[in-house]
Amino acid sequence: MTALVAMRVAGFVRGGRALAPLIAVLVVLGVIYGGGASPAAVAYGYSAAALFPVLAWLTKLLLDTEPDVQRRLARLAVGPAREATAGVLTAILLSLVVCAAAMVAPWLFHGIDTEQSLATGIALGVLAHLLAVPPAVALGALASRAVTGSVRLGVTVLVVSAVLVVVLGLTTSWAPWLVPPVMATARALNDPRFPPSAATLAVLTGWAAAWCAAAYAAYGWFRRSRA
Amino acid sequence: MRFQDVWFRYSRRSDWTLREVDATVDPGATVVVLGRNGAGKSTLLQLAAGVLRPSRGLLGDRPAVIGWVPERFPADQPFTAGDYLRRMATIRGITDPHAVDRWIERLLLTEHTETRLADLSKGTAQKVGLAQALLVRPGLLVLDEPWEGLDAVARTLIPDIVTEVTAAGGMVLVSDHRGEITALPDAIHWTVSEHGVHAAESPNASAEAEVIVEVAMRRSEATQAVAQLRAAGHRVLRIQDQVPDADVRGGAFLAEPDRAQEAPVDRESR
Repeated sequence: MTALVAMRVAGFVRGGRALAPLIAVLVVLGVIYGGGASPAAVAYGYSAAALFPVLAWLTKLLLDTEPDVQRRLARLAVGPAREATAGVLTAILLSLVVCAAAMVAPWLFHGIDTEQSLATGIALGVLAHLLAVPPAVALGALASRAVTGSVRLGVTVLVVSAVLVVVLGLTTSWAPWLVPPVMATARALNDPRFPPSAATLAVLTGWAAAWCAAAYAAYGWFRRSRA
Repeated sequence: MRFQDVWFRYSRRSDWTLREVDATVDPGATVVVLGRNGAGKSTLLQLAAGVLRPSRGLLGDRPAVIGWVPERFPADQPFTAGDYLRRMATIRGITDPHAVDRWIERLLLTEHTETRLADLSKGTAQKVGLAQALLVRPGLLVLDEPWEGLDAVARTLIPDIVTEVTAAGGMVLVSDHRGEITALPDAIHWTVSEHGVHAAESPNASAEAEVIVEVAMRRSEATQAVAQLRAAGHRVLRIQDQVPDADVRGGAFLAEPDRAQEAPVDRESR
């Protein structure tokens, strides 16, 4: 499976398809950190929320890079479960690289206000990004061509879901549980004077885990039923 | 391998592409799948390979290692031919680096290893597709129009490869619409049509029927070889001095002496 992950990373990077999401990441980081310094937790909370749709898009692009026939050849070589898992792992790996870059970037722009409690802020930032990656990858995987069958439907799924994550994530939302807690996490980190309690963090983590369990189960079901 | 009442359609709304397929492939058998364009040959082969899943029914007793040569090799990938095959070998769990080189040499791909997949000619890309399916000796080899785009020399490799797979107890499914099947005299024929799949023994398949094998050999060895063939009970029909171009493929078929000696032994042992 490592070899399949390596092959997909190479195909994605060498083929030049990684360029568009890379530019998107730079734009997002530029917008967040261009305006001045803010406390670590606040900055990282926004960064995680803003990267969510980019990471989902990156996942879709990554999984769609491989031609359908090649995906089927990979499936014959390693078996259906491991082929699908390898795709998700590749996306998680690349997303973690993006998140690491996003954690480092503000230090280059002096985007972090170092007067506030730094260690807590960074720890919360790491958590916020880690809570954003698995749902973003799940969403991108559900929008991939292997699941949706057509490019147009895939893009629709991706865009509508990304908008819903924001809309249903607002405080006035009637069904926040339908989407992963991306907005809720950003809000919880928004006030550096009152960092979120352990209970709040546990709820957010559990919420993200439950959403991911459902989304990955759906992905597995789609991949089993569609060649 | 068994097809048990297999039905297939590409989506809920479309018509059935295949209906009520009931068929069995025995270990060591070669099946040639025939039918007009769009009859479902490729679909049947992809079901056999496990690339498509039946809409109804099931496929049983499929071997663990399956090699599938798709009708069109997916050349839209940023790898060179050699890099691609090495990566596919690692994915298949092959640690021996020479396993890839063996197939590269045998399929005459040596001069193309550094060529990007997208820049390969159709026939060469087809050979890369063939090589990736053979890296691990398959228990089931599925060849979708394998002769498409191949030159005369490469065409003769396919019957050889098929024989090797079946001699080791593997099964081979081949689709063909160009009449190349004459190179596979032992094959069982399946005809795919809108009414389903019909198996028919090939007209030449009965053990008593004769087939004609054209062999080219060095003049110095000819007398001895003819005597050996006669001793083995074969009828030698004709000895020709020059090999015209059209006969080259018949000649190259058994060109490697070690394989020519192996073949009858393998036949007996299966």
